[in-house]
Amino acid sequence: MHKARHLNVSGILINGAALVLVLSYALPYMYLLMTSIKPAADVQQIPPSFFPAVLSFENFREVLRSSTLPKAFVNSLTVAVLTTALSLAVAVPAAYVATQYRRRITTLFLLFALVTRMVPSVSLGVPLFQLLKSLGLLDTVPGLVLAHTSAAVPLALLLMSAFFEGMPRELEEAARMDGCTRFQAFRKIVLPVMTGGIAVTALFTFITSWNEFLYALLLTSEATKTAPIVIAEYNSVYGLAWGAMTAAAVLYSLPVIVVTLALQKQIVGGLTFGAVKG
Amino acid sequence: MKRLVGASALALVLMAASAKAETINILVEGGGEMLQKAVAEKFTAETGIEVNFTVVPYQGVFDKFSAEIASGSSAFDVITIDVVWNAKFASHVEDISSLFTDAIRADLPPALLADAKVGDKVIGMPAWANAEIVFYRKDLFDKPEEKEAFQAKYGYPLAPPKTWQQWREIAKFFTRDTDGDGKIDFWGTDTIGTFSEEWMAHVLQAGSPGVILDKDGQVIIDNDAHQKALEFYIASHCVDHSVPENVNEIGWGEAQNLFYQGKTAMTKFWAHAYKMTPADSKVSGKVGVVPMLAGDAGIAAIPGPWYNVVPSTSQHKDAAKKFIAFAIANNALGIEAPLGLAATNSAYRSYSGKSGYEHFAPLLETLSAPATQGRPINEKYQEIVDEAVLPAVQEALTCKADVAEVLKEAKETIEDILN
Repeated sequence: MHKARHLNVSGILINGAALVLVLSYALPYMYLLMTSIKPAADVQQIPPSFFPAVLSFENFREVLRSSTLPKAFVNSLTVAVLTTALSLAVAVPAAYVATQYRRRITTLFLLFALVTRMVPSVSLGVPLFQLLKSLGLLDTVPGLVLAHTSAAVPLALLLMSAFFEGMPRELEEAARMDGCTRFQAFRKIVLPVMTGGIAVTALFTFITSWNEFLYALLLTSEATKTAPIVIAEYNSVYGLAWGAMTAAAVLYSLPVIVVTLALQKQIVGGLTFGAVKG
Repeated sequence: MKRLVGASALALVLMAASAKAETINILVEGGGEMLQKAVAEKFTAETGIEVNFTVVPYQGVFDKFSAEIASGSSAFDVITIDVVWNAKFASHVEDISSLFTDAIRADLPPALLADAKVGDKVIGMPAWANAEIVFYRKDLFDKPEEKEAFQAKYGYPLAPPKTWQQWREIAKFFTRDTDGDGKIDFWGTDTIGTFSEEWMAHVLQAGSPGVILDKDGQVIIDNDAHQKALEFYIASHCVDHSVPENVNEIGWGEAQNLFYQGKTAMTKFWAHAYKMTPADSKVSGKVGVVPMLAGDAGIAAIPGPWYNVVPSTSQHKDAAKKFIAFAIANNALGIEAPLGLAATNSAYRSYSGKSGYEHFAPLLETLSAPATQGRPINEKYQEIVDEAVLPAVQEALTCKADVAEVLKEAKETIEDILN
């Protein structure tokens, strides 16, 4: 009886703490959502109000009427999907080799990937601009995909390495004993086990590209302009269209939320992968 | 004959190719594209030169132009830049003094002509310009009981303010508790604490030869006019209490919204906003406008012009210059765009008397006022504002600091930045 009450109290405390944590994360997004459904004149009320006094979808109508935003959404989606695919294609096998066949060079390789994450992207903007310009890839989808991939691969590599570290080596050895080649063992045994890790890595890579701003600003013009640039354009020198900007941001966040929910099982599985090893 | 046909075909192909090559790319901020779109369409129709706009966010113009400069080549033939960047980009753009004919010079407010020049180089042509003017609640100013009460209290008729004294007194008069709960809920005006340009306008009204720096580049932020202007600027908050208290949280957006929400009787704001009052705003149809306030030196404001410049790396300099000349000659075409701004006197005058454009007369009077002049043309302008000017204004707005001392400290900081 005493134990049950004790569990109940600790359960309430844990749930309460979790609720506070969730609210602190969700509050800015909730405010964004609430702002997007306020009429233009109420958006910057003083003192500010959290809930709209009058419900208005005018901001969404304005955003959807815009000629540039739908095209920018398509560009963002294309670039993010291709970046994710390319990054995974490079990072998954590289991380596998680097972790499962450890040599000094593979350790250096992973260290180098970590170091590239420490270089501020702003310092790489101009060199990338020059490089893509000389290749004739400015304002093209492949150009932006390459730029985003250069930023996403180190992240994917580090994430996948952490997942592969948690995988028992015996898996590949057993497959090899059963007659698989090294590549077959990787493709037929290792990859299916790693689905959760790959899903998490894919999601983070996708989000990296989806929200990327600086390279998209410097390396695109009109043809391949992505949505973050168009959303930022609502902040003009003569005012900030909060309503339209928040409506666009809400719409833009939906695909990521949907993907996260769809991959929830794999993500949770991936995040806890290796946690009970041994 | 065969040769002739062949040569003609080749000539046609070459002509088509050259015509196709005649495309200029313009880098511009969001609102700016709309202001120049009609001009671009007419330009293409009359010259055959195509115009492509690359629209980026405000800061994107600076970042993209900077990246192009660093790369040594440019995809753009015209870039429309904010006046605050003129000094920064001056050495990377063409001199376009040949485009400034006598007729164009005569048609531009002197402050815009002055800002076009960095040193001896004419770096850009104004594309459009803006300035702060006074917005007021016509419905309140026209109310007989308000007029009577004001006359009784101050001894002169209630009318839109022209002077500093009128501004303060009218603001005090309208500040009140409208619902009787003991708390002020309607203010005469607002004080902006997150930008310093409004105070700079008062500096010019007070008769300073320049804002922050004089024409020789000497720091004059501690002169009498700067001090007098700062005392006036903080008075509504510190002495009269005729503005919302959270001054250091009020920027232009907040000031505009306070007015739109019917919480202030007057505001000094950029003229374009007159045309953009939301239909669902509490003040829709009740807004009046007059020129910016006048001090000892008369009316003055800090203009907000944007300039069309030709990057030195442009591959189509002649076509770019042709476009710039065409744009200024057809400057009125931008007025139908949402921002509804132009640069030339003739463009603004062409709309005089037109309903919905009542703000043009006060805007033009403000832009053309002899005391109106631009911000210092200095590469370190933004750093000066961020590190010295704005902190000084904000410190003064605490109402606890000595204004002269605050400006003296700002002077030292600016001298450190410049040296």
